Amino acid sequence: MSVITSETAEAIEQILKQYPPDPSALIAVLQDIQRDLRYLPKEGLRRVAEYLGVPLSQVYRVATFYTAFSLVPRGKHVIKVCMGTACHLKGAAMVAEAVERILGIGPDQTTDDLLFTLETVHCLGACALAPVVVIDTDYHAHMDTAKIARLIDKYAKE
Amino acid sequence: MPFLTDVRALEEFRAQARAKRPADARVICLCGGTGCRASGSATLRPVFERCLSENGLDGEVDFRVTGCHGLCEYGPLVIVHPQRYFYQRVKPEDVPEIVHESVIAGRPVERLLYKDPATGEVKLREDELPFYNRQQRIAMRDNGIIDPLRIEDYIARGGYAALAKALTSMTPEEVIEEVEKSGLRGRGGGGFPTGRKWRSCREAGEKRGEIRYVICNGDEGDPGAFMDEGIMEGNPHAIIEGMTIGAYAIGSHEGFIYVRAEYPLAVKHLSVAVEQAREYGLLGKNILGTGFSFDIKIARGGGAFVCGESTALMASLEGKAGEPRSKYIHTVESGLWEKPTNLNNVETWACVPPIILHGAEWFASIGTEESKGTKVFSVVGKVENTGLVEVPMGVTLREIIFDICGGIKGGKKFKAVQTGGPSGGCLPESMLDLPVDFEHLAEAGSMMGSGGMIVMDEETCMVDVARYFLEFLTEESCGKCTPCREGLRHMLSILTRITKGEGQPGDIETLHELADTLADAALCGLGTTAANPVLSTLRYFEDEYHAHVYEKRCPAGFCRELITFSIDPEACNGCHACFAACPTQAITGEAKKPHEIDQAKCIRCGVCRITCRFGAVKVK
Amino acid sequence: MVHFTINGVEVEASREENVLQVARRYGIYIPALCYHEAVTPYASCRLCIVEAKQGGRTRVVTACTYPARDGLEVQTDTERIKARRRVVMELLLAQAPASEKLWEFAATLGVTSTRFPSEDPDNKCILCGLCERVCREQAGVASISFAYRGRHRKLTTPFEEPPDFCKGCTACAYVCPTGAVEVRLARNLLELQPWKAKVEMAVCTECGTPYAPTAELKEVTEKVKLELPALNLCPACRRKIHAKTVVMGKS
Repeated sequence: MSVITSETAEAIEQILKQYPPDPSALIAVLQDIQRDLRYLPKEGLRRVAEYLGVPLSQVYRVATFYTAFSLVPRGKHVIKVCMGTACHLKGAAMVAEAVERILGIGPDQTTDDLLFTLETVHCLGACALAPVVVIDTDYHAHMDTAKIARLIDKYAKE
Repeated sequence: MPFLTDVRALEEFRAQARAKRPADARVICLCGGTGCRASGSATLRPVFERCLSENGLDGEVDFRVTGCHGLCEYGPLVIVHPQRYFYQRVKPEDVPEIVHESVIAGRPVERLLYKDPATGEVKLREDELPFYNRQQRIAMRDNGIIDPLRIEDYIARGGYAALAKALTSMTPEEVIEEVEKSGLRGRGGGGFPTGRKWRSCREAGEKRGEIRYVICNGDEGDPGAFMDEGIMEGNPHAIIEGMTIGAYAIGSHEGFIYVRAEYPLAVKHLSVAVEQAREYGLLGKNILGTGFSFDIKIARGGGAFVCGESTALMASLEGKAGEPRSKYIHTVESGLWEKPTNLNNVETWACVPPIILHGAEWFASIGTEESKGTKVFSVVGKVENTGLVEVPMGVTLREIIFDICGGIKGGKKFKAVQTGGPSGGCLPESMLDLPVDFEHLAEAGSMMGSGGMIVMDEETCMVDVARYFLEFLTEESCGKCTPCREGLRHMLSILTRITKGEGQPGDIETLHELADTLADAALCGLGTTAANPVLSTLRYFEDEYHAHVYEKRCPAGFCRELITFSIDPEACNGCHACFAACPTQAITGEAKKPHEIDQAKCIRCGVCRITCRFGAVKVK
Repeated sequence: MVHFTINGVEVEASREENVLQVARRYGIYIPALCYHEAVTPYASCRLCIVEAKQGGRTRVVTACTYPARDGLEVQTDTERIKARRRVVMELLLAQAPASEKLWEFAATLGVTSTRFPSEDPDNKCILCGLCERVCREQAGVASISFAYRGRHRKLTTPFEEPPDFCKGCTACAYVCPTGAVEVRLARNLLELQPWKAKVEMAVCTECGTPYAPTAELKEVTEKVKLELPALNLCPACRRKIHAKTVVMGKS
């Protein structure tokens, strides 16, 4: 049985307060929790279900349907490798593989020290500058296997 | 903040805004669209601000961060007005020179101007580039010119005049008629006549006395397409104005803009714009004192391509998983919360204000017989000028790819252009003279789709392209219906085997049978069109499939299991750079002597080829 | 009322009905796995596809969600439909090869093998969703739901843990067309798999058979606000005692 800290519970209450207790607010609520806590804690989802009047099973359904959400904590730095068509043609798969090799994790996985998470995303909309990698909120254009190695180094040292 | 109580107040405000923006005013437009941001334009902003301040130009020069200007390949873009000097690939260290030479002294900075890669000709102004002067911008009319976070800019350019006209001098019926006559068709890919859709929604709502919703579909998910992103980021008010006009025509008072989660800048700009529009009395209760009320909520997607499908989008708005439902009863009759709902794409909404302002005849005079107006395309891939292009319907693929976008990069050969995203197909060189509109590309086995255009060259493997789209779709399928959930999975595993040289006799037949099953039996458009990339590549590039299946060969040199990397001893000077770069230590060699790749250790990741500055790494 | 034809047979229906309902009423067979009268149609299995001609246009549609309309011409077994159904059936068999009931059903369609490989040879679930719909719409409990999407989609409990609450009504097992939901009854414990649901059962005071979930009995007695000794008995013993005392007048 997982237990969340009182800080986490409080953070979730603050988010819930901003929304009406209506099922249509579910996705927005989950997005705010994901943004602030870097994941959706199990007990938090129970509270969300209670507040919005949605069965827990339906909250779970939504939480697992959308790739924006994660049930396990994401790393401090989320590395999003774009796998859009233009990026794919210009070698995005190699870039993603390089990240996997360097960090020893697979797609949607996080390093043990919770520093990095690797995600492969379906098109970030910067197609003209393929291959594109977004780390946190920073966009990086024309990436290749050499550049990504240097970038990861930079973020690791921060 | 001026609250515009009526049309007269709006026009007075517009006149003032225009007076503050004379044609000879000094303006610096820095492109802040996602593309240029990825190239570093965000770092330029504080540098410009500081430099202008240091030179006492704060109040004199209008410094604007605009939305996507279009020529993303050459970003960060800076345009200096009134001369319209077009600067590309601007770096922070270039800023002082731009300010001193161009802004203060009025002279161009030669080295920052665009140089035509084919002719070497230097272009002074934006309209001298074929990339720009061959475009006709309607949906993107204000992109690169206005600051999207300043409603004043939009109003100075004529914004909200169409809304004022519709609310005060046209009946809802007249508005619908105007849109019908214009021939505007949905720009999200479906191409359904917009006016007809509005009319059906209005009629359904009136028949049942029910509340109606209008929705803007900003869930642009086709990989390679970012037209809607450019409009949402660069001119959010165009969408708001269009939706308000539509709401008036349909009799709706509540609207939603659904933006995909991957577009945070678009969400931000739309949110600011909605706030500003409310503050100015252009959105919300009693708009411009006409008694008409309409408001908009912004909703974010959760990372699901399928939510671009209208019923899935509506499910998402209701707080549910984005699963589509059968559309035998249309959403204009029963949509969001089972109420009559009119959903249109971003670009469609953006076209509405100009149609109301300039008239249906004007819009219908552009384009072709069946496809009126202009279309925005995102041209990406192996072209010189990647970016956003808006042209009249009917312009050919050749014109777009070669005349406007400069042809294939690096002197390589054109092989195919992929249009319509995962629902579309790949067209070969023989199809380059097809006019781009709703009809012609579909006849050839592809479709115009939402506007994504991915150009491919001789190094693109068409079998891999088919595999890529299947992989995309298996990840994005909602999984509800059997043919899509199970059928795509099997199609993907067949394609994957083929790219690894493990194709079997009967594979192609099975692909065809699965394709037919998907087309007929899948529940939504994602499934019914999923086989198109495979079918179109089988149709035009059958020889590549044969090479993979029967010869275990990848003619384009892309499929990892079928290629080998080697070092040309004549080109290699033994600089040892590849040795360090290779992740599996597969390269051996002494200093200044030709190096060698151990095929057993090589994982064909391509790092050596990128690292080598002498082109010594060859792929076979 | 509306009038249309199915395979040339003239039928009458209300506008609220779907083509599958009407066909069944007229004894015309259309195969279907994910449809049940007790819950909303879902159109996920795609076996009930038919050719529907309306307004000059013929489309392949699912009969369970296609509304009855005037002038509709439905064909249930054209060559095109049979071909698509065959492939869909093969896809389902590959997905859930461990379900005997599914293979039996497939045989009635003339499908006795599948050319597609199976990822999970022990799987019986075809993700038709009948269990979750009956739990949500009829039992009103919603303790199970779909999770994830695409090839990773599954029908499960929140966090794949035993559900917070399960009524033990076993409706999910009842509607399941493939036998993927199993009921196991032992002593006073009812188990529903794969939900890992364990429901405490009341045991008959006469014969010792478990016969109803304890929680249900409690809810019923609280609602009814009556102490009914008959509620401590299983249906069989209740009938026996009823026969003795009421029918035959013995105490």
